[in-house]
Amino acid sequence: MLSIDILNEFGADTKEGLARCLDDEEFYLDLIPEALERGRYEELKKLLDENNIPAAFEAAHALKGVLGNLALTPIYEPASEMTELLRAGKEMDYTELIDKVIAERDRLSEMIG
Amino acid sequence: MVSQLNVRRTILIVEDEPINRKMLENIVKDSYDVIFATDGLKTIDVIRENSDVISLILLDLMMPDMDGYEVLEFMHNDKILKQIPVIVCTTERESEVRCFKLGAVDFISKPFSHPMVIRARIDRAIELREGRGLIHATQNDALTGLLTHDFFMEYSHFRDMHYATPGMDAIVFNVNRFHLINELQGRRAGDDVLIKIGDSIKHIARDRGGISGRGGADEFLLYIPSGSDYDELLKEIGRGLEDILNNSRVYLRMGIYRNVNTDISVEHRFDKARVACNSIRGNYNIQSAIYDEDMHDKEALNERLINDMARGIKERQFTVYYQPKYAIQGDRDSLYGAEALVRWEHPELGLLRPDKFVPLFEDNGLIHQLDHYVWDEVSKQVGEWMVNYDLKIPVSVNVSRVDIGAPNLEEEIFTTVQNNWISPGMLNLEITESAYTENSDQIINVVKSLRERGFAIEMDDFGTGYSSLNMITSLPIDILKLDMQFVKNIHEGNKDMKMVELMIDIARSLKVKVVAEGVETKEQYDLLKAAGCDVIQGFYFSMPCVPKEFEKLIEKENGELQREVEEALQ
Repeated sequence: MLSIDILNEFGADTKEGLARCLDDEEFYLDLIPEALERGRYEELKKLLDENNIPAAFEAAHALKGVLGNLALTPIYEPASEMTELLRAGKEMDYTELIDKVIAERDRLSEMIG
Repeated sequence: MVSQLNVRRTILIVEDEPINRKMLENIVKDSYDVIFATDGLKTIDVIRENSDVISLILLDLMMPDMDGYEVLEFMHNDKILKQIPVIVCTTERESEVRCFKLGAVDFISKPFSHPMVIRARIDRAIELREGRGLIHATQNDALTGLLTHDFFMEYSHFRDMHYATPGMDAIVFNVNRFHLINELQGRRAGDDVLIKIGDSIKHIARDRGGISGRGGADEFLLYIPSGSDYDELLKEIGRGLEDILNNSRVYLRMGIYRNVNTDISVEHRFDKARVACNSIRGNYNIQSAIYDEDMHDKEALNERLINDMARGIKERQFTVYYQPKYAIQGDRDSLYGAEALVRWEHPELGLLRPDKFVPLFEDNGLIHQLDHYVWDEVSKQVGEWMVNYDLKIPVSVNVSRVDIGAPNLEEEIFTTVQNNWISPGMLNLEITESAYTENSDQIINVVKSLRERGFAIEMDDFGTGYSSLNMITSLPIDILKLDMQFVKNIHEGNKDMKMVELMIDIARSLKVKVVAEGVETKEQYDLLKAAGCDVIQGFYFSMPCVPKEFEKLIEKENGELQREVEEALQ
């Protein structure tokens, strides 16, 4: 069941996230599932596999923005790291980073149930 | 301002990410209406369609198919869209400089800062933009872009405080009979002249390190360091306008208060320049004048007269003199009426003739009070004479162009005669011809309603006001008064006499009476009588008299009438 407690347990900075939502818990919690929508993460992974750096940067950047705004720190941090590397146009193996992002996403998803 | 004006403003949120969009909406929705755009191309459409209602745009820098920079650039190049403040949402510090250059007013970082911070930034950005718009609207004249009067004075004052330039000139320009341009060539032509003059004086101010402004309708102001060649200045401003401004009626006038005394207020310095400028009104041969000692003395006197007027009325220092009018086409010349002339018995300055104070009071509007006083005095006197002598002596009083603009003038004059128990027919109203040409629609309406009340209308100074024949024939008037400058020089068969005959012909065809004023000699009297002039006033018959003296003339007239009756009965 999605709740502030579960998000705290996951490691999200709910205080910050809630503040951005004017401390409206319901509003905040409503936004979370949308940010966890799996297709979006898989799309990013696909772009990375294809080595399409510019498109991957855009997708990662957008995702990072959302995760940051919702303060989902455990997913935000690897996503942010990845975005900076992509911004620099670095051609490297992003598998480890995207897997970490997806793993954290899945962990939260499971906690919510 | 945002909180003062109780309207809900609209914010456009440009953001492709739904979650961010919702969060931003949630943050601003209490204070603002929100519309959205989700990608660059749509954004342009939405901005174009709603440019009149959007108070601010929150712009995400990264979007599919057109990025935020392009949106900014597009807006930056559009005169109207440029006015809408844009706050950019971005994570990248280094993009800020580029955005500022493209006109962004502020930034919101991502992840979003605290909602209160975002709200405050939005409020400020809107306040600033609207405040600036408001300042611009009041500070600059819409037509010429020049500073408006009050701001001009303010900035000139600031200039004095910040740059101690020794010796500044206050200069006032205006266009003699500017209204003729509007009347003869259309409003558009008039506007073009004003714009052109405005551009020239802006240029002059920039060149010489001064300030330019528009003082009023056709008045322009320049505050520049001394040392300019004034003729050159006048030429520079008139350049390109030679076709319109080079004739004996419409031309540029310039008044200069040189090397201003900084101990007096900026407004007062320009009052002095204006005094100089007005001193050459109606004198085509002189187009610029410098404020001097004589003007200073005259100004000081005028100021004193203005200050003393109210008390003068209260203490009845203004006395009405009666200039008799005689009808000259009968068997004998009979007393026909009088023209009321006001004099001021000033306790310290002595007896003042109307030319000392009437033009002055006409300029500043005080004349209305004085005219009203005269209407009342005359009505009272006319009523008294009717009772005492059983003779109807209609008296003409002046209605100046300032009075024409007074609300409910016809009611005001009607009430005045009613309060004195005389009929409107006993008070003839003199309105100068030039008033008709200056504001013809308004004056015709006022005159019509006065006539409907029973007042007779005299057109004063006929022949000096440039009326067209066409206009004369359509005016609601009862009497034409020939200006004394024509009468002064008439001799058998000369040009002035022909003019007078022509004017009498016009009057006859309009079926209105003709009164000639300023008749002094037997020759003038004979010529006018032969030409068919109905009524005459002037020294030939009598000087203006105080009521006691005038009563002697009434008694004499009554004596004549009595004798005529007796003769008829014998």
